[in-house]
Amino acid sequence: MQSKYKVQLLRGYLLMAGLGVAWLAQAAPSLPEEMLLWLTSGWLCITAIMLDFSHRRPAMVPWQLLPSLLLAALIWVAPERYQTWLWAWALLIMLPQPPWMGGVNALLASVTWWSLAAGERLPLAALTGALLAGMMTLGLARNLELQGLRAMSRHRVRLIPGLHLWTSGRLIQDLPSERARAQREGIHAELVLVRTSLLDLWPLAQRLCRFSRRFENCYRLDRRTLALILIDRDAEQAGQRRQDLLTMLGDVRRFRASALSRIESLGDEIHAMNRQHATVTVIREFNP
Amino acid sequence: MTDLLSRVSRLQAMVFAAGALLMAVHGLWLYLMGDYSRLILPATTVPLMVLAAILRMGRNEPSRLSSYLVLIGGYLLIAVELIQPSGQASLWLGLPPILTLLVLPLGPAILLNTALAPIWVVLLGELPPDPRLVIGYLTLVVMAGLVPWEVLRQKALMRVTDPGDDECSALNALSLHDRLYSESQRAGFLDQPLAVLVLHLPQLEMAGEQFGPKARQALLDAVCQEVEKRCRDNDLLGRESSEDFWLVLPDTSENGALLVAQRLEEGLQDVVLLETGQVEVRLTPCILRAGESPEHFEQRLMARTQHLADP
Repeated sequence: MQSKYKVQLLRGYLLMAGLGVAWLAQAAPSLPEEMLLWLTSGWLCITAIMLDFSHRRPAMVPWQLLPSLLLAALIWVAPERYQTWLWAWALLIMLPQPPWMGGVNALLASVTWWSLAAGERLPLAALTGALLAGMMTLGLARNLELQGLRAMSRHRVRLIPGLHLWTSGRLIQDLPSERARAQREGIHAELVLVRTSLLDLWPLAQRLCRFSRRFENCYRLDRRTLALILIDRDAEQAGQRRQDLLTMLGDVRRFRASALSRIESLGDEIHAMNRQHATVTVIREFNP
Repeated sequence: MTDLLSRVSRLQAMVFAAGALLMAVHGLWLYLMGDYSRLILPATTVPLMVLAAILRMGRNEPSRLSSYLVLIGGYLLIAVELIQPSGQASLWLGLPPILTLLVLPLGPAILLNTALAPIWVVLLGELPPDPRLVIGYLTLVVMAGLVPWEVLRQKALMRVTDPGDDECSALNALSLHDRLYSESQRAGFLDQPLAVLVLHLPQLEMAGEQFGPKARQALLDAVCQEVEKRCRDNDLLGRESSEDFWLVLPDTSENGALLVAQRLEEGLQDVVLLETGQVEVRLTPCILRAGESPEHFEQRLMARTQHLADP
């Protein structure tokens, strides 16, 4: 599935742009400019290295704020050389970003426009401003398109193409239906929550997906917590699989397995895990 | 989604109209100043922009013609500005590549930007041109292309990770096969029966061709709604190909599947659509055999679907 979209091509392009800016940096006539261009080049290269085709890193805000700040700083430091780039604001507003970030971009754009327009004749400054505003609105229109797409599918997307790893929103939907299904079919289903460290999360998620059968979904709840619904014929078999799972996981911070029939809500369950004293807690089915 | 798209196209049409207004004001000012020789620019760009706005207004699909009209208007404006010795050449030089990227898809935009680079340089009038200006322009073109590219990547990612179909509330083929595989594995593992109803909509293609996309959508929605109404929470409706659907019924025996098929047929008989009339659907159940592998079952289902489509 990876081959459907050529992420390597974009990576190469990013690196090329990074090298181009680095070349500009070493030829820059003044020190502040040189520093800013080196920063830009570094940003491009690091982005290229981090790039992958998954929802693992949704657009991180501080990381996206950097190009806006760099552009503003460059126009501010040497307007005569970088005024060509003024129009790039219309593109930066096209990137997926939270509303306040769009506000910051608009603000920076008007500040840089003002710093350029201050020394100009009024009609020219007004024309530049009007054109910039119009182009930024076009960028915003493109942004809206993408945001609509994201809003529609945010709750149902897989996090990595081809892997049965889903978002927490999906687990909230799945919990009641899996519970009803387990009850009707007379099988044993339990929710396993695993708390790990920030760095271990993604490797662990992949291992969890490999361990689970295809019909047992895995979920990423937050930056340190994963979930898995285990489905077995009866409680005995479930106990065996839980043991296998614990052996496979090795060292984790917290582990909590609860029969689906005993779960009130996902929020309560996470709360209970946060408070549990033992590393491993198992809540068994209620037998009257 | 269509709502959003129409909002987007309205927004774009408004910007184009504002551009036309701006040029009209500019023309009026030139006229009042008695500068008749320069009137030709607003006189050509205003109609172009107005036409572009009108073309963009009516429809949700981006219209290529209106994009090109806007580009021509923008290019003319820049070309005239570049020729004048205002000292602002480097400012104006940045506008055309960005405008191109804003209104055209990435590929054509990059081609056009590269092709136009020498023209802008010649219009600047200095030969040989200032290398710094040329490099600045090229860097801008390269860097600016990154943004639409990132947007494309996000869209592609959304497409491959979203299990839903584009047109209706069923699963798409990719996730349907994925879910079918896992459901057959689950059935084998828990010793449960598994049934799949194969649905074929013979009217769909005809509805699209004769009555347009709205009739086609109405038909799809009617079928999806009816299936949703008649089925349990765990039953999965997926779209195998444009006219064929698979309804996966976990823990259902052959008798159960026949019952579901009968109920569905009866339910769909009551649905009468404006253009296409009574909804016609061909149904056939297919049961997972004991010990059958998911792959084999899938192949059997595909053969059954093919058989149903051309009887």
